[in-house]
Formats: sequence, C-alpha cells, structure tokens
Amino acid sequence: MNLLREAETALCPANEPNAEVPNGAAGHYLLGLIYRYTGRRTCAVDHFMQALAIDPLLWAAYEELCILGAAEEASECFNDAAAFRVQQQQLSESSSQNLTIGTECQSLPSSMALGSGDTSPRHSKQLHANNTRETLSHPHGTVMVAGHPPIGGPSNISQYYTPPAVTQLSGVAPPPLCRNAQLYLNAIGGDGYTKSNVNAVIQAPRRKFVDEGKLRKVSGRLFSDSGTRRSTRLSGEAAANTNSNASQLGGNGANHFSAKSLGGLSSSSSKTNSAVLRSVTLRRGQSWANENFDEGRRSQIFYDSCADNTVTTSSMSALADGKCLEQDKMGCGISAHDSRLASGIREFLGLLRTLGEGYRLSCLYRSQEALEVYLRLSQHQFNTGWVLSQVGKAHFELVDYFEADRFFDLARRVSPYTLEGMDIYSTVLYHLEEEMKLSYLAQELISVDRLSPQAWCAMGNCYSLQKDHETAVKNFQRAVHVDSRFAYAHTLCGHEYVALEDFENGIKCYQSALQVDERHYNAWYGLGVVYLRQEKFEFAEHHFRKAFHINPCSSVLMCYLGMALHSLKRDEEALEIMEKAISADKKNPLPMYQKANILSSLERFDEALKELEQLKEYAPRESSVYALMGKIYKRLNVHEKAMFYFGIALDLKPPAADVATIKSAMEKLYLPDELEDTL
Amino acid sequence: MATESDGEEDTAGKLTGSQHLEVDDDLREMAKKAAWSVSSCKPGNGVLALRDDNLDTYWQSDGAQPHLVNIQFQKKVKLQLLVLYVDFKLDESYTPSKISIRAGDGFHNLKEIKTVEFKKPVGWVHIPLSGTDPRETFIHTFMLQLAVLSNHLNGRDTHVRQIKIYGPRPNPVPHQPFHFISKEFITYSTLR
Repeated sequence: MNLLREAETALCPANEPNAEVPNGAAGHYLLGLIYRYTGRRTCAVDHFMQALAIDPLLWAAYEELCILGAAEEASECFNDAAAFRVQQQQLSESSSQNLTIGTECQSLPSSMALGSGDTSPRHSKQLHANNTRETLSHPHGTVMVAGHPPIGGPSNISQYYTPPAVTQLSGVAPPPLCRNAQLYLNAIGGDGYTKSNVNAVIQAPRRKFVDEGKLRKVSGRLFSDSGTRRSTRLSGEAAANTNSNASQLGGNGANHFSAKSLGGLSSSSSKTNSAVLRSVTLRRGQSWANENFDEGRRSQIFYDSCADNTVTTSSMSALADGKCLEQDKMGCGISAHDSRLASGIREFLGLLRTLGEGYRLSCLYRSQEALEVYLRLSQHQFNTGWVLSQVGKAHFELVDYFEADRFFDLARRVSPYTLEGMDIYSTVLYHLEEEMKLSYLAQELISVDRLSPQAWCAMGNCYSLQKDHETAVKNFQRAVHVDSRFAYAHTLCGHEYVALEDFENGIKCYQSALQVDERHYNAWYGLGVVYLRQEKFEFAEHHFRKAFHINPCSSVLMCYLGMALHSLKRDEEALEIMEKAISADKKNPLPMYQKANILSSLERFDEALKELEQLKEYAPRESSVYALMGKIYKRLNVHEKAMFYFGIALDLKPPAADVATIKSAMEKLYLPDELEDTL
Repeated sequence: MATESDGEEDTAGKLTGSQHLEVDDDLREMAKKAAWSVSSCKPGNGVLALRDDNLDTYWQSDGAQPHLVNIQFQKKVKLQLLVLYVDFKLDESYTPSKISIRAGDGFHNLKEIKTVEFKKPVGWVHIPLSGTDPRETFIHTFMLQLAVLSNHLNGRDTHVRQIKIYGPRPNPVPHQPFHFISKEFITYSTLR
C-alpha cells in the first residue's frame, strides 16, 4: 500500500532504536525493503544482512542484496555455519511442534513456509495491485497431512511472523483452513505485525512453495523457520504462490518437482486441475504416504482455480522429500530425523550456494562467470524455469540474443506461467525483430496475469517494434501504473518517449527508473543517448561510463561510450574502447563500423577502409557500410570506386533519407573540391 | 516513395484518390508537432476536422479564394509527403480541383513548390513534396501552406476531410551519417 513510513515506524519504533525488530529475519527483511524503496541503501543492506544472519535460508534477502550490489559470496552466506543454525532451528521447532500440533507429516511445510522473503517484499510492493491474486494459499493446499486441515498457511504464520503470511491467512482461508487459521491468527495476533502488512497480506497472498524434496530448484523464497513451533516444515520450504509479480523466483518452484504438472497447478487455471491433480498425486504418491495430503492438495488445487489468479508460481507444495520423509516418520525417532534433517539442510544449502552465487554474479553483470556457475547445477535443477530464465538473462546481458532466445524459450516450455524475466525475453525478441513471437508472448502474458508489469512491457515492446510509439508509451505507462517499483517499465517508457523525440519526458522516466534501482544500467544508457542527441556530450559520456561501470561486458555499451568520446574529440580513448568492444563480442558489427567512422574522421583512411572491408564480410547487405566506403573514396578522390560503392549502397535500398544523401554525394563527385559541401 | 493514386495519372499531374492510405515505413507523421490554422471556416467545421482521423467530418472554408491551410513547425523539419482525403461524390462542388503547395520560413516568404490538379478525386490523394532533383527528396522548412485555388464546378468554398503530412524517421542511433538496414546492424545498434 505504499505506506512505507508507517510500516517503518511500526517495525522499528522511533524512540527505541535498539529494540529488537519484531519477527526476526522477516522483520529485518521488510525493513530492508523499506529502506531500499526510500533510497537509504546502506541501511537496507544492513538489514538484509541481519536478516540473513538470523535466518540463512531467507533467499529473498540474499536476492535483494544482490540487486543492491552488495552481496557477499554465496558460499559465505550459505555455508556450514548457516547449516548448523538452520538445523538448530529445525530441532527446536520440531520438538515444540510435536507437542503443539502433533501432526507429523506436515509435509506441507511448504504451505507454511511462506517465503517470508517472498511475500514480504512483494507485499510491500504490491499490496494494492494484487487483490485478485490471491493465489491462495496453496499453503492451504498443502494440507497437512494426517488429517490435519491444511495448516500450511496458518502454521506458517504462526511461525513465521511473516506478516504477509498472516494476512494471507486471514484473507483467504478456505474452509479447511479456517480452523487452523483461527488458531494461528490468534497466536499471531499478539505478535504485533505491522498493520500494513496485515492489510497487505489480505490483498496479495503470495506464497511460494518450494520443493525441497529432491532439492529441486528452490524457488526464491525460502522460508526460514525463524520461529518456533512449526510443524514439520523444513525451513527450506517456502511455499509461495507467487504471483507473477512476485515470482521472482517463483515459477521455478513449479518446475521442479512436478515440474510441469506443478506448473500447471500453479497456474490456477481450472482446466489444469484434473491433469495436475493426477500428476501431482502421482508424484506425491511417492513422497507422501498420507492421503490426506492428497486431499489437501486437491483442495488446494481447487482453491487455486477458484482463486482466479494469474498464478505464476506453482504451488510447490512439494516437500523436500528427504525432509518430508523424515517428518512423516516423526514418530520413528527423532535421531533419524535429525540426521536426515542435517543432510537435507546441507544439500539444500549447497543448492542455495550455487544458485546464490549465480544470481549474485548475474546481478554484478559478470555474466560469463554466472553462466559457468549455473552450468554446475545438476540437470534437474538446471531445467527449471528460474534457472533457465536467469541463464537467458545472462546471455542477454552479454548481448547474445540468439542464445538468450533459446534459453527463454526453454524456460517458457518448462514453466509456462512464470512472469518473471519475461520482460527481458520480450526485449530479446524485440532485438531479434521477431514480431510474431513477440506478439504471441505478449498475448500469453496478458492472459496469465493482466496486472503484471511484465505483460504490459511485452505488449509495449510489441507496439514499439511496429514503430507505433504512441501506443507503446501507453502500454508502458500501464506497466508503470501496475507496479511503480518495476524499474524496467520506467526505462522502456523512457525509450519510447525518446523515439517520439520527447526528451523531457524521456529523461523523467529514466530518472524514475534510476530512483527505483540505481544499478539499472539501461536507464543510465538511455540518459546517455538523450544527451548525445541533444549534443551535451560530456553528460552523455558520464552516463555511458556509469552504465559501463555497472555492466562492463556489454559490447553495445562500449560502442556507445566510444561514440560519446569521439564526439568529445577524445578519439584515442574512443578507439581504445572500440577495440575492446570488438574483441568482447565477435558478432557485433557495430564497433567495427564506428571504428571505421572515427578513423575516417581522423583521416586515417586506409585503416578505415581495412575495417570496412572486414565488415563487408560480416554484413554484406548493409548499405551504410558501402556508403561510408564511398564517402571515404570520395575524400581520397578515387572517383570510380566511390561511384561504385555508392551504387551498391543505393541498390541495397536504404531509407529515403540515405538515398538523398547518397545521390547528392554522387552528384557532387565531379565538382571541384572547393565547392563541395561536406556530406 | 509513397505510392501514387490508384487511378490514371496524367502527365499534367491530375490525380484521383486512392482508397487506402499507403505510406512507406520509413516515413512518420509529422503533424503532431505542428500548429495548424486555416484562412476561414464555417462554425462547426473548423480546422480540428482536418486532424481528427474521422473521414466524416470536414473543414469547410467560408471566405474568398484562395483558401489556405497553414502548417507551422517550431523548427525546420524535413517533409516528404502530403496526403489529403477528398471526396467528389460527397462534396461535389466543394471538392478542391487545383491546389498550390508553398513552403517557407513564415507568411512573409512562402514560395510555391508544387501545384497539383485533381480530377474528381475520391479517397486519399498522395502528393510527394520532392522535386525531380534527388537532392530534393525532402523539403526542409519551417512552414507549409496549402492553398486551394479553385474547386470543381467552380464552387466557392471547399471541403477537405483529412490532411496528413509525412517526413523521414530520425536515425535511432544518434550522430550517424547513414541509417542501418541489415538485421545484424539493427540488432546491435541499440540497447533497451
């Protein structure tokens, strides 16, 4: 609801600076978010670190740290000490739980595990938007085994103070849950959740389920049990139905386990129900001995479909198999449970380590390394939606659009309802000029979730590709309206304004994007282009440099930086950067062309011609190459060659503006030098 | 270049309208950046009707000939194509028959650049603004004035239903001497 100030005061009362933040990790996480959105980066980083310290499985906090660019190595965060802590938490919980709840197979840890991280961030952000997404509580779905009504949600709540969880609970409780809900709500009531959270929760429950069982990909929000009594949930599980927006990692969950089935499941479309149900039951059959679970699942599914959500994540109510089994046999002895728990936790943390490292590197735009890290994952894990789209994103940052397209395509096939990362995919398709694919993607995304910024970004990209910039602006503004904290929507809006030559609005948009996320290099780039157009070359250079600083491996950025330097007449540096760009990406013809341009303006014609000859091989049907060659030959007064090349350039049908330039150049070829105007 | 009218085209430059508006992709409409004014109009049929994308509404002049439509830009722009929608069947004697196009910096120094004659046009009439000289594919100007010199059947006042004006698109990559056309170049030419 954007009541950040109130939320902040609630979490951290002003006159008690040292008071303990309520809800431990979740509270710190929320505070971190609040600071991030109000621009206080160091405080935000501080709180996220604390959240991670208290609860090492709080993936959302780690994610936010990565986005802020301040994350440490994943191996440090998710190391053995962390494992130990988690284990302790589990142990304390399980013992108390035995008494309080007495359910064993809480296989649904998932439900519970409302990814604190997950929901919270999303909550604070999207409270307003997501009323409809009540992706219900799948947690509910995950019914508690052993005849316990799905406590999932409620239990979570009790545990996790995650306020969102609470609200969710209150808001959505399907009948079976009711009982538990009440129970938990009361318990929670006293916890002093911030009001905003509560409200928020009601608005947008999002939960992610993470299937830990087979250590499938853990979706972002792991919920850690910072708490107390929880039924059998393993901290790892975070069940979250993330809505598209939320699903940062969401969708992934779906992937694993029941992979596609879950995917279908999550998508809250009723038609998937039966299919999903079947597959789910099948899969679950193995892990869960309890049929109640199935029942719970079924109800969950129904809720899902009823919920009418656009679902993005699959409710993975999968439980970590290992843990699940352990839980199941709670009666079988705590010791067995403990050791399995321990190994489960270790494996889990191992997975988190890899994913975390990959994500961190990806956010630091060290995309090559990130790719290597992701490749280390096992086949199962790699083939999940989240990982695939992260890999796609990494390729995108490296300006390798074909590979990015391939990976995003795979990601969509594996998890067709994820929304996260789809905005990047739409940009990839825009660059590749794949109109049909792009419009198809946009339609699909809108049908999945009309209220997600990614869907509107995709639509906007679609119109922009058709050069209908006005409609594109409208679409991007809708995306901004739906979620004003989605930096990319602002940036894309800015691009459209610039295409319409409305520089003022463009600059405003880029600046709002930067307010949301300072490390959004696309916005820095956009500002640079605007200033380049307005001939404010120093500003342009400054902005391009900032963008380059954030993302040092994009050859396009290097190229633009070089162009700005050339305009500032710092040609030596410009040439250096172009060399770098050329070596960084062999497939990008632009730096070579720019280099030739710079060389020809420096009157080093032979070198320029050499570059252009090479370029001819790369892009034989590019008229600007021939036109530039013609121009150079004209300067060298080699008229026949100049005419020859101008002729080829014209044959390749450049746009009318170029035709005019080239033709007039040809006419002037035979005039004496003194009367020649520059082209 | 934009397609000429579907019908016959006399050497004298008589044009009949085409049903569809066909404009090249590398042109874009410039009208939004301009200030439009007319020499006279009947109340209810003013200059807005020329820009409302509605072919049922029209501008009707209400004074002496020649009737003028003035299009003024804030800076010098390149213009390539002018398109008018006129309909003889509906407007008969109100349909313009001879139009003169003038360009210049302001009202004081307009110079005629083209004259066209229509012969019972129905539909969109495309008038390219370039001369025969390849250097003059565009007109580089602050202002364009459309003067209706005479109407069909010697009508006094005129109806024009819609006017659109087109110019070249700016290069998406700034400060380049030439546009990029091949896919390889375009893909890498900008970031988003």
